[in-house]
Amino acid sequence: MIFADGITLLCNDIQVDPQDIVMLVLSWHMKAGTMCEFSKKEFTEGLQSLGIDSLDKFREKIPSMRSELKDEQKFREIYNFAFGWAKEKGQKSLALDTAIGMWQLLFAEKQWPLVDHWCQFLQARHNKAISRDTWSQLLEFAKTVSSNLSDYDAEGAWPYLIDEFVDYLKENGVNQHGQINDSSLN
Amino acid sequence: MQVTLGCLRNAYNMVLQKFGEKLYSGLVTTMTSHLRQISQSIESAQGEIFLEELNRKWVEHNKALLMIRDILMYMDRTFVPSSRKTPVHELGLNLWRDVVIHSNKTQSRLLDTLIDLVLKERNGEVINRGLMRNLIKMLMDLGLSVYQNDFEKHFIEVSKDFYCCESQKFIESCNCGDYLKKAERRLNEEMERVSHYLDPSSESKIIKVVETEMIENHMHTLVHMENSGLVSMFVDDKYEDLERIYNLFRRVPSGLTIVKDVMTSFIRDTGKQLIMDPERLKDPVDFVQRLLDLKDKYDKAITLAFNNDKTFQNALNSAFEYFINLNARSPEFISLFVDDKLRRGLKGVGEEDVEIVLDKVMMLFRYLQEKDMFEKYYKQHLAKRLLSGKTVSDEAERSLIVKLKTECGYQFTSKLEGMFTDMKTSYDMMQGFLACHGAELGDSPTLSVQVLTTGSWPTQSSPQCNLPSEILGVCEKFRSYYLGAHSGRRLSWQANMGNADLKATFGKGQKHELNVSTYQMCVLMLFNNADRLSCKEIEQATAIPMPDLKRCLQSLALVKGKNVLRKEPMSKDIAEDDAFFFNDKFTSKLFKVKIGTVVAQRESEPENIETRQRVEEDRKPQIEAAIVRVMKSRKILEHNNIIAEVTKQLQARFLPNPVVIKKRIESLIEREFLERDKVDRKMYRYLA
Repeated sequence: MIFADGITLLCNDIQVDPQDIVMLVLSWHMKAGTMCEFSKKEFTEGLQSLGIDSLDKFREKIPSMRSELKDEQKFREIYNFAFGWAKEKGQKSLALDTAIGMWQLLFAEKQWPLVDHWCQFLQARHNKAISRDTWSQLLEFAKTVSSNLSDYDAEGAWPYLIDEFVDYLKENGVNQHGQINDSSLN
Repeated sequence: MQVTLGCLRNAYNMVLQKFGEKLYSGLVTTMTSHLRQISQSIESAQGEIFLEELNRKWVEHNKALLMIRDILMYMDRTFVPSSRKTPVHELGLNLWRDVVIHSNKTQSRLLDTLIDLVLKERNGEVINRGLMRNLIKMLMDLGLSVYQNDFEKHFIEVSKDFYCCESQKFIESCNCGDYLKKAERRLNEEMERVSHYLDPSSESKIIKVVETEMIENHMHTLVHMENSGLVSMFVDDKYEDLERIYNLFRRVPSGLTIVKDVMTSFIRDTGKQLIMDPERLKDPVDFVQRLLDLKDKYDKAITLAFNNDKTFQNALNSAFEYFINLNARSPEFISLFVDDKLRRGLKGVGEEDVEIVLDKVMMLFRYLQEKDMFEKYYKQHLAKRLLSGKTVSDEAERSLIVKLKTECGYQFTSKLEGMFTDMKTSYDMMQGFLACHGAELGDSPTLSVQVLTTGSWPTQSSPQCNLPSEILGVCEKFRSYYLGAHSGRRLSWQANMGNADLKATFGKGQKHELNVSTYQMCVLMLFNNADRLSCKEIEQATAIPMPDLKRCLQSLALVKGKNVLRKEPMSKDIAEDDAFFFNDKFTSKLFKVKIGTVVAQRESEPENIETRQRVEEDRKPQIEAAIVRVMKSRKILEHNNIIAEVTKQLQARFLPNPVVIKKRIESLIEREFLERDKVDRKMYRYLA
């Protein structure tokens, strides 16, 4: 088993920051069960599938792994993978703090203007763990609904937490650029 | 013209000898010139003579025509058909029409005169109806198109103008009731006119004119007339006016729709005001009675004035359903109303009248959207009635249960029936107990126990409190007796629900019987052995939870006329260090003093909120069960359709909130009963 220390060493060797999102992509390739650990099987089979057998090759692979995030389909898979990977073993839901951290990481790549409001909303109003359905539906929401909410469909079968988020945004006067007018929330 | 056999023979011969043509054209010429003379004489008739002259000449002409036809019968039967000429009688009529009636002067004069007479009659004058009838009949005899073009068409036009003016005049000067009376009168008048001297085919046309001009064109003005329109008719129970407006308005398109709509919105507003009036809401029983009175009022109106019209009944029902559900406390209040009736209101009332009241209650119950809320309150109130023995009639109670069962099914009432069963079983149990142990109980306090099956009763389990030593003996005896008969069971005394009768002797020797709750009994009995006790000491001795104890002490020390205890200091609130004394100076005019209340009361705000929360919690599993049922049978279904199906399944009990349904769906997804479809995220799939 490789744990956090081992991973730090690895990151050093391949010259990647442990917080770098490419580590998530790597974990995805390895089908890792939980963050900050790799089983021997996960590690070796993952490297094999990537065709990596040396540190140099590893370093070379990094940019292409990074670019995989640009692919719509792959991003979705990685995003949904992240839920199971980031949550505690044996838990059904993802702790809020972890979820917020993951979202900020993922949506830095994907560029969703409402990500900060979403996180603020959760901390102010929800304060509970995030279900898998909410997690996966949020990506769909970010992709299909414009940030000024003009095409949000209240009958759209969105998880209730997202409906509440929309109400929260409306209460606080979100303008067209996805910025909340009420400065007291910043 | 004189008929002689000679004429006949001549005519006959002429035809025989093929002079038919000459005979016929001679007839035409002769008759035409004769009629011309007649026409002139009619034209020169002055004033009123005109019509009489016309009539007279017409009668003569008809007589003559008959004779001529007889004389020329042979020609009519042979020459006329073969040469396709107009038969003699018809010819005579046509010539009359063309020469006399359609002469320039006569045509317009005839029309004007007839119309003029009608208008005079409408203004109240008496006219010669016989003459009118004859002349109208003449026009009909000349052909339907003559009647219509020469008279009826214009008659209708003129009538339109007449009624347009008249209705305008009346609208400005009459109130609604009077206007309608006038309209009704005119309608009757026109029908009578037609039957007397017009052709029946005109009836529907003239009636339509009156209906349109007098009713249809002023519908809105009439209905909304201030101080006399539809609303004030309802307010003042003006059944005759209402009946008239119904009968008149039903004649015109959308007439009844307007009446119905105004009625509906007025009932809604009245109901809404009643529902929202804080004064009214202070007294639930009065509030419900007012609802019933309102329903009765409109039921009566619909029966007496609106011919029991179903659309109106439906409108009334939907109006009631609308505003009753605006007040979230309606279920509680209706249950309190029922409680009041079953506890004392129906005392001494005959069986049939009891049924009437209960049926009215059921009618209100049907309007409720939140029937499960009602069930919760009904159960609580029923429990109190049964346990305090305060029900006016067992039959009435059971009758209502049967009605509820019929309406809602077995599940609704099974627990309620369980309560009745427990009461009966407890009674039998007590009989058995007394028969068995009665003798050895001797001087012990008389005990009466109701054994309640957990689950059937709306009880919250109360923590054990310390019962007075005086009754411990007999309580234990009962417990062992019961457990002897039912070994596998557990019994726990519910001290928050019982009551007791205590015999008390006060300072000057006056004796009273005090009817108190179990808690109150525990507190009072302490004073047999102590003169002074603090609140805290009482709590320690009795183990009654402090909030309940404070309420208990308040009812014993701070209520005028029931203050069997004295408190120091005399403040309104109970503090833990306050001291309590037996009130030697207590007096009451009554021997039996009731201090304990186990009677159903309007909930306080916090209690109300708590009950609502409990009901909402109870709804969650019901909603989930409905979702699973729906998905199991449909396998895959779109979100909005699930909401609709689930709502349909549950609406007999309550109206589920779509947001709550959504949350339950998500919970079911979480627990892997359902999943979202991979392609269409709005569809859900049942996972076996």
